[in-house]
Amino acid sequence: MTSTRSASPVAAAAVHRPGDLAAARDAVLAAREADANILVHGAGTKLGWGGRPAPGRNWHVVDTRGLNRLVRHDAGDMTASVQAGMPLRELQAQLAHAGQELAADPSRRARGATVGGVYAAGDGGPRRHHHGGVRDLVIGTTAVLADGTVARSGGDVIKNVAGYDLGKLWSGSLGTLGLVVEMTVRLHPLAEAARAVRVPAAADVATAIVLDLLASPAEPVAVEWSGGAGGGALLVGVEGRAAAVDAQVASVAAVARRHAATVEPVDGEPDVWDAWREAHAGEPGATVARAATRPGDLAAAADALDVAADGTSVGTTLHSHAGLGLHDAVLRGGDAAEHAAVAAAWRERIRAIGGSVVLRDRPAGVDEHVDPWGDPGSGRLLELMRSVKSALDPERRFAPGRFVGGI
Amino acid sequence: MPMAIEDLRQELTGLLGDRGLLTEWTQRRTYESDGLTGYRIVPALVALPEDVQQVVGVVRACARHGVPLVPRGAGTGLSGGALPHADGVLIALSRMRRIVEVDAANQRITVEPGVTNAQVSRAVAEHDLYYAPDPSSQVVCSIGGNVAENSGGAHCLKYGFTTHHVLACEVVLPDGEVVELGGPTLDAPGYDLRGVFVGSEGTLGIVTKVSLRLLRRPDAVRTLVADFPSPSAAGDAVSANIAAGIVPAAVEMMDNLAIQACEADAHAGFTLDAGAALIVELDGPAAECDAAFADVTRLCNENGATSIRIAGDASDRDLIWKGRKAAFAAMGRLSPDYFVQDGVIPRTRLGECLARIDEMAVEAGLRVANVFHAGDGNLHPLVLYTAADPEQAERAETLSRQIAELCVSFGGSLSGEHGIGADKACSMPTMFTADDLAVMDRVRAAFDPHGRCNPDKVFPTPRLCGERPGPYRPHPLESAGVIERM
Repeated sequence: MTSTRSASPVAAAAVHRPGDLAAARDAVLAAREADANILVHGAGTKLGWGGRPAPGRNWHVVDTRGLNRLVRHDAGDMTASVQAGMPLRELQAQLAHAGQELAADPSRRARGATVGGVYAAGDGGPRRHHHGGVRDLVIGTTAVLADGTVARSGGDVIKNVAGYDLGKLWSGSLGTLGLVVEMTVRLHPLAEAARAVRVPAAADVATAIVLDLLASPAEPVAVEWSGGAGGGALLVGVEGRAAAVDAQVASVAAVARRHAATVEPVDGEPDVWDAWREAHAGEPGATVARAATRPGDLAAAADALDVAADGTSVGTTLHSHAGLGLHDAVLRGGDAAEHAAVAAAWRERIRAIGGSVVLRDRPAGVDEHVDPWGDPGSGRLLELMRSVKSALDPERRFAPGRFVGGI
Repeated sequence: MPMAIEDLRQELTGLLGDRGLLTEWTQRRTYESDGLTGYRIVPALVALPEDVQQVVGVVRACARHGVPLVPRGAGTGLSGGALPHADGVLIALSRMRRIVEVDAANQRITVEPGVTNAQVSRAVAEHDLYYAPDPSSQVVCSIGGNVAENSGGAHCLKYGFTTHHVLACEVVLPDGEVVELGGPTLDAPGYDLRGVFVGSEGTLGIVTKVSLRLLRRPDAVRTLVADFPSPSAAGDAVSANIAAGIVPAAVEMMDNLAIQACEADAHAGFTLDAGAALIVELDGPAAECDAAFADVTRLCNENGATSIRIAGDASDRDLIWKGRKAAFAAMGRLSPDYFVQDGVIPRTRLGECLARIDEMAVEAGLRVANVFHAGDGNLHPLVLYTAADPEQAERAETLSRQIAELCVSFGGSLSGEHGIGADKACSMPTMFTADDLAVMDRVRAAFDPHGRCNPDKVFPTPRLCGERPGPYRPHPLESAGVIERM
């Protein structure tokens, strides 16, 4: 099988490939015994995210892809327990037999992205608009801490407030707090029917349409925008019962027409969602910068990107989960210093409207000019994050340097 | 009055004035319990701050004097989460009730913690927006309390819990520093501390401002009440609906005892001799709703519904919900006293679990009424008893605890929405290992290294549960006569 993962950011002194919880714990303890740091990855499709690993100790790598089992699927309760290294697409294929799914549709699934990797990266796709992020779908976790402690939180039922919700901590932590071995997730029924429409619209008109859609009785599952200085388009998806999706499309269309926009059905283009979803990941050599704003700031984010790239040799496209206010700028062309300059300028403008910009994949050299996380904000908040890190990983073994503020 | 408290009293009087600090026993006694009235402790002082600066002042003063603090919202909690500390300060946030900002276009609102759940929806109704989590106490319970407890409600099957709707919390940490967890956008960079804070039951800090996500009011709502011969038949109907891929906005069940109590209280038109009643509500785009509603009706009939009543209009629907939400208050008609549990089971084991609860009730010689969020398996068994009979009260308390632990043994949880608080802390080892709890405690210490924020809640301690965590033994304070469980 061809390797599809990003180049490992560390030279591994040892690679562990555990197949169960006991072996996962042994791997962590072996790293500790060798006084090594630990880098956890699944398919490795997001190893380029986060800061560069801190120098110092040797590194042990834990490859979770041996943890690839669907442990339990309670179709009647719409929950499943799955090991972290199971590829998302395999999980979906198994759940589909029961007409169910984990309602997460991040990019990189075709490249083998694992359930645990998607969770640890806090990655999401267009349908997050309706179903929430992976953080919202995980109801129980089992993780191994750096000292070998096995820590469970949450449980197997959807509704549960017993104890702290540590599952929220693992989500998006990029493997800097511990090794997540297994997750219990909430499932959803596969929709009977799905339709989508494309609405050509520049960023300003698109923003108005998005806000009107949010304020309308339509309940789209996805509201995407993609474009640049030359214009763009919205892609809106609806799902539901076969007898009812046409009515939903009609209400989306009615909103678009209020803004004099045309509506193009794209139901005959089966891979349209794949294309739009994968665009968020960018291509090799590109820099992907993720901005978070209020949904109404789509046009402001797009304008800010144009301004930031103006006069450089960097070309930009913005791929936006528009209903959520999450925007991925893909920067291509130019050198690393220029990518860094565009990202920094964009970040400054996004911060001015109350948002944030974090770099995802980027070419070597960008980090010499710009911090991938940006200014970590108030001193006390960063201090609190450091306290949480040191409560769970006091010797800083899990991916030191990868998280915000050098955590 | 201990020296630290006396010093603190003088300092806080300067900060809050006479109006903002309650020192007299009769005033303090008003705050001796939350909604779980079996636990009562009169706090040493009660602070009523009016803004974040005053909260900071109180928390800093407590830190300096080494005095524990207990935050309190509206005091409607049902797990003793706001049970005061006898040598501590109760910080009641009921005077912080400003609506700070409404951003209707982006569907967000920022409020102070004392604003009630229902006020949030009222404040944005003119924009056709609402706040989805709807605990039964929503008319009085506060957003700050909802954040502390990660409150749910009848509609969380489709819409999720408080944690899914909180964008940001301004928090006064136990050292008096102020941080914002989360932010105005999704995915603020860094660890999701907001996610950990929501549902931490006041043990990690005091929330002084909350930004919430709002939803557009659904296009259509369809509600029905279906009667069944038994709860287990009604449970089968729920399973059939879920298996058909229907995600109702709410599915509520009441057993016969509960129906009788609710009907007597609210006159909602429930059938008095039904073995169980199921309330099913769907919402969303009208066409979607109508298509699914036809299926729900058919599936209820196929699973033995003896009658189906469809809410004719909004007022009929409101009456049905008024009846259901009256359940706890209405129990007074059946029994002078009751314990309410909040366990969760995998929904598919409902029949089995209810049968076991019936057996346990018979063995204990007590009546148990059941109302529950049937869609997500969240049971609210109400153990009826007479407090005037101490022996019966003890049996009721034991049965109530055993029911919660039974839920855990079925693969469920001790609590779906009421929290662990003081009430169920000693049962936590039935659900989590010592290591699991120790790791949570490490996170707690990252926020509160001195353990001053709402101590003796959520986690079992030797002080609370005896030397060995495990099955319930009388609280040492109970034995000492300091607190009582009525």
